[in-house]
Amino acid sequence: MELDFLATLLLSSLSSAAILLIATVGLAVMFGLMGVINLAHGEFIMFGAYATLFATQIGIPYPLAIIFATIVTAIFGGIVELLIIRRLYGRIFDTLLATWGLSLVLYQSAVLIFGTVTPGIGLPISNIQIGDYSLSVYLLFLILVAVVLIGSLYWLLTKTSYGITARAAIQDRETASAVGVESARINTMTFALGSGLAGFAGAILLPAIPATPNMGFAFVIKAFLAVVAAGPVTLTGTVAVGSTLGMVGNITASFWTSVVGDIVFFLLTITILRIFPLGISGRWRMKL
Amino acid sequence: MKDSTSSISSLIRNFRLRSSDPSIFIALIFALTLAISSFWIDPYLAYVGTSWVIFGLLGLSLDLVWGRGGLLSLGQTSFYGIGGYVGSIAAINFAPLTGNSLIWALPFGAISGTILAALVGWFIFYGRMGSLQSTILTYTFTLIVWTITLSFTTEIGDAVVGGDNGMSNIPGFVLGFGEKASSLSPNMMFLTVVVISAIVYLIVAFIVRSPFGLVIDSIRLDAVKAELLGLDIRLFQTLMFMLAGAIAGIAGALFGAWANYLNPSIFSVQEALLVPIYVLVGGLGTLIGPFVGALTVGGLSFWLGGGVIGGQTTLVMGACLIVLVLFLRKGIVGGIQALFARIFDDLEAKDRLSQQTSQVRVNLNLLEKLQTSTNVQRDATLKTINTSKRFGGVLAVDSVSQNFAPGKVRCIIGPNGAGKSSYLKTCTGAYEPDSGTVLYSSQDITKINPFERVKLGLGIKMQTAQVFDELSVRQNLWIAGYGNGLNKERADQVSDEMLDVLNMREISTRQASTLSHGEQQWLDIGMVLCLAPSVILLDEPAAGMSKEEKRQLSELVRLMARTATVVVVDHDMDFVRTLDAEITVLHQGAVFAQAEIDELRKDERILDIYLGRRQSVTDF
Amino acid sequence: MTNRLMPNFERVWSQNYKFVCLVMLALAISLVAVTQVRADDEIKVGSIFDLTGGLNIYGIQQSQALHLAVNNINDNGGVLGQQLQVVEYDAQSELAKFTQYTNTIILRDQIDVLFAGLTSSSREAMRPIVRKNNIPYFYSALYEGGACDKQTFITGASASQQMSVLIEWAIKEYGPKIYIMAPDYNFGTISAHWIDHYAKEYGGEVVGSDFLALTVTDYSPTIQKIQAAKPDFVAALPVGANQTGFLEQFAAAGLKEKMGIVSTNYGSGNQQVVVSPDAGEGIVASQEYFMWIDEPNNEPFKAKWEAAYSLDEPIISEAADVWNAVHIWAKAVEVAGTTDSDAVIAALESGISFDGPNGTVTMQPGSHHLKQNIYIVRGNRTHGFDVIQTFESVAPSFEDQVCDLIANPDTAEHFTPADL
Repeated sequence: MELDFLATLLLSSLSSAAILLIATVGLAVMFGLMGVINLAHGEFIMFGAYATLFATQIGIPYPLAIIFATIVTAIFGGIVELLIIRRLYGRIFDTLLATWGLSLVLYQSAVLIFGTVTPGIGLPISNIQIGDYSLSVYLLFLILVAVVLIGSLYWLLTKTSYGITARAAIQDRETASAVGVESARINTMTFALGSGLAGFAGAILLPAIPATPNMGFAFVIKAFLAVVAAGPVTLTGTVAVGSTLGMVGNITASFWTSVVGDIVFFLLTITILRIFPLGISGRWRMKL
Repeated sequence: MKDSTSSISSLIRNFRLRSSDPSIFIALIFALTLAISSFWIDPYLAYVGTSWVIFGLLGLSLDLVWGRGGLLSLGQTSFYGIGGYVGSIAAINFAPLTGNSLIWALPFGAISGTILAALVGWFIFYGRMGSLQSTILTYTFTLIVWTITLSFTTEIGDAVVGGDNGMSNIPGFVLGFGEKASSLSPNMMFLTVVVISAIVYLIVAFIVRSPFGLVIDSIRLDAVKAELLGLDIRLFQTLMFMLAGAIAGIAGALFGAWANYLNPSIFSVQEALLVPIYVLVGGLGTLIGPFVGALTVGGLSFWLGGGVIGGQTTLVMGACLIVLVLFLRKGIVGGIQALFARIFDDLEAKDRLSQQTSQVRVNLNLLEKLQTSTNVQRDATLKTINTSKRFGGVLAVDSVSQNFAPGKVRCIIGPNGAGKSSYLKTCTGAYEPDSGTVLYSSQDITKINPFERVKLGLGIKMQTAQVFDELSVRQNLWIAGYGNGLNKERADQVSDEMLDVLNMREISTRQASTLSHGEQQWLDIGMVLCLAPSVILLDEPAAGMSKEEKRQLSELVRLMARTATVVVVDHDMDFVRTLDAEITVLHQGAVFAQAEIDELRKDERILDIYLGRRQSVTDF
Repeated sequence: MTNRLMPNFERVWSQNYKFVCLVMLALAISLVAVTQVRADDEIKVGSIFDLTGGLNIYGIQQSQALHLAVNNINDNGGVLGQQLQVVEYDAQSELAKFTQYTNTIILRDQIDVLFAGLTSSSREAMRPIVRKNNIPYFYSALYEGGACDKQTFITGASASQQMSVLIEWAIKEYGPKIYIMAPDYNFGTISAHWIDHYAKEYGGEVVGSDFLALTVTDYSPTIQKIQAAKPDFVAALPVGANQTGFLEQFAAAGLKEKMGIVSTNYGSGNQQVVVSPDAGEGIVASQEYFMWIDEPNNEPFKAKWEAAYSLDEPIISEAADVWNAVHIWAKAVEVAGTTDSDAVIAALESGISFDGPNGTVTMQPGSHHLKQNIYIVRGNRTHGFDVIQTFESVAPSFEDQVCDLIANPDTAEHFTPADL
């Protein structure tokens, strides 16, 4: 096995992990800070992708379109929280089903509005050569995006007043409400944040994965598994589990087929849950 | 011969006993209506309706697991699909020999569903997985099966399993035997499926009313408490899961015979998520709801698919689901029940009338008599040797060695955070200590499960009153008497006696959730006593009790200590003082002092701990 | 346990009693409501396509083509002097719905012919039902090939039909080494078999293959394996929108300059619209119809389509397949002089042909597949295709070889290359 092969294998598995993380953090934030599993997460990603597409079509340059999509999806998420999620606090399985209903509605609305095929914006054709192999620069760029994304999220949750109150609210709801934390408002913000992150994922991944009404489905399954296997300490847990699962899946797929990669991914999740019934971070002391 | 007649007669007796319960009659009438309608409805409607009844059966399997067992399983379709495949493979190969296809398809479907559910259930329940994790695990399981079957091709006898192209040539519903037997007409097929579903429903209804059903209910309501009553909850949950797997397998086999064709889409995510919808639409936990739900959803989507609203089925279904979850939480059955309850029923008002708090007066004489009549182990002791438990960086229990024996009440006191509850939990089995040993008499019980400790003779009452909210007072006590030994006669007798001991006969039919806080504490204590334990661990038993109740409790505890080992953890010093106990003081996880109450009162350091004066503590 | 332990359940169930009466009433009413007998003497054309759900990319156009064809026939006087009436159901991209609606459409609506289905699994679900009820059934989509049943007629191209010309052309154009990227189910695995088969026939060699789950979005492992195998061209068979991501990532990694890329299904779901110009340019596809082909009947067909719908979304090959299917059936009914199934099937087996938008298509009497043109096209920068070569009247050689419904009318099989 040649060195160039191993180097590209490492880089491509890192980019796989990065894609998984980018697509997952929004879900992780919602689950970690609100205890909500959003089954419409994939459709929020799609929402972001179409918002980006719309923005580029009316002439906004792609980098600004990403910001536009993130904000629009965040606002949309906030509205969803106010209309639906708020009424279902503490009913995790009802939330699961309501968000599934939402995902169906969003999916079909996308079909109605955008049709089943819309032009993509394409990946920039630039690549680097490692020995016999070439890699897309954009996919490598995604590794950087993932790192920056996790870093700024960490900053947001530890250094800003929103982050501190949100974490306080999850750690001790009663005390938090006693000292006047408006948990309802915090929850709306958290849901909007999670949605915004989903929108960002759709926007940033759009060049590699064209926008289609059912694009979300392909992401969400692995995203759910990563979040649940990560357990209650979402940010650190998700980074640990998400990157491990992403890389292992990629490497097995490189040596066998992508189906084997998927099955290994699933089996690994099951194994993690068998050993750590509450997710890998179930007994961790850190809280983020 | 004699055996079989007696079992038949007991069956009849049982049936008569329960015949005052109308639910089975209702189901029978419901099934009968459908069955009769099968003689005159259009064949196409019978054909399509057959599939809705099959989906209802699949929904029933989830309702059992979710509504009764408390686990939202997204894996029922995998049992359903595998049951369908295995049942159909059996039917393809063997039906030509007999004519009849169902005698092959149904048992094979049921057995394969059961085996698979046993496997998944073992993983979840014996792994003591969290509820969300379990849901996701079942979902993952379905995805794995789906991924594998999409490209899995093989030939088993005459059956060709062709990956995504599926398996064709599955025999339809053939009831007759011999070579001339032919497939049923759509109407007869509908009738057959209704009859099979009714039989399955009846079996489930009987099981839900049996002690097994009551155990399942209590596990859903409070799994920790159920285990502290000596019930191996893992086993019961797995058994329940297997039963549901069998039902799903039967439904799958019926589906295969209905469609004459199976394909991996049966394992798809869409299918998996449809099942909870049937259950929710009909009404969770009602058992009949899934059938109502499947008929409603099936009918709706059939109507929409006919182009009524321009083909926007998905949109309408999604919106319906959201509305349903938001506004009709209990589904159609539950919603209509509530409506009827509001219009016709004043049971709630009656309940409220009977809610004058009854003064608890414990009948100690009776208790003493019972205590001496039961033949429990008299000299059982509980011993811990250097037990330690660490959470992260905090040493919650710091090598505590204690020897508890009958004769005198033992108390463990200490300020908040002293490690009292953590220590007690290493004794009950809720925590496994990092080091040290826990001995019951001479038996090492450090690593065994809570229910196994209870079976040995431990009786545990946790800090808050743990009662099964939705069950009646009598049912609470009955399950406590049943848990240890699974003996119905004993449970009947013990719960009956305990009602007298607690003086709760008048409120025996009330739901536990309607009791006052003090009454719930007494009921909880009563449940512990039903176990006839030889070692009793009580965590703050007097919390929420009136002065008079505390006096009675103190008497009761001292009475129990005469024959059993009794350990009380409390920081209510007034109560502790009345117990005439030997006291162990815990501080920062370690034993700080151990003495009679009077000696301790002279000890300045104890006061320091309670008052937060630091000097003596640091000296120590 | 004694009965008095259960007052709670009793209470709950005693309320159910009233409820169930209500349900029974509702049920009775609804049963009566749907039991309406319809009787008329129009010719009924059944249609079951995925108008909603994930497969409606294809289903909507299939249905549009059906309506267009039926209107076209009706405008020209109908069939046997009678107007055609369409009975349509939406299968919602759910397989169970095909079973359900096929029975409904036959038992209740009593159709004379059925046009339905996109996926092979949907066809396999319907095939036993139409067989039992002896209703002519037309399946109009490109597929892996091999279906053989008296009542079933296929107007799409089979994998061997497309592959035979595509692989020959590609080996000449690019060189002998082939890498296969295919979805991991029957269409993919059987297509891969034909690639291998024709590679050997024309002096090529398959140097590697990857079979992908439909949910894969990240293709870096595949791209890596392709680079390790160093093929002259890649045979890519992406299914669904996700797999178009492969083409983007393939182009972005710079592989398009190093090797060719060919496909038998690229374009069948308008993938060329989704894929960006950079990634789509130069992809070679082969099918029985493209909107850009130059055939005498294509322009009028496109004009009719544009008048009825629009050409914002290019017409897919499945739409042309449905159009051909309806017209061939109508022609066969005219020949038979009746809609009686046996007579129509006999007419369809008489070597009937039709001048469709993709040239003349002929129903092969033995295999019930079409002998038709196969076009090789290359993607351009405007989300469209340029025709490079037309192979006239390509026969469905595999199906003709294994399936002879004239000699063996009782055959009801789905042949795979393993049956050769």
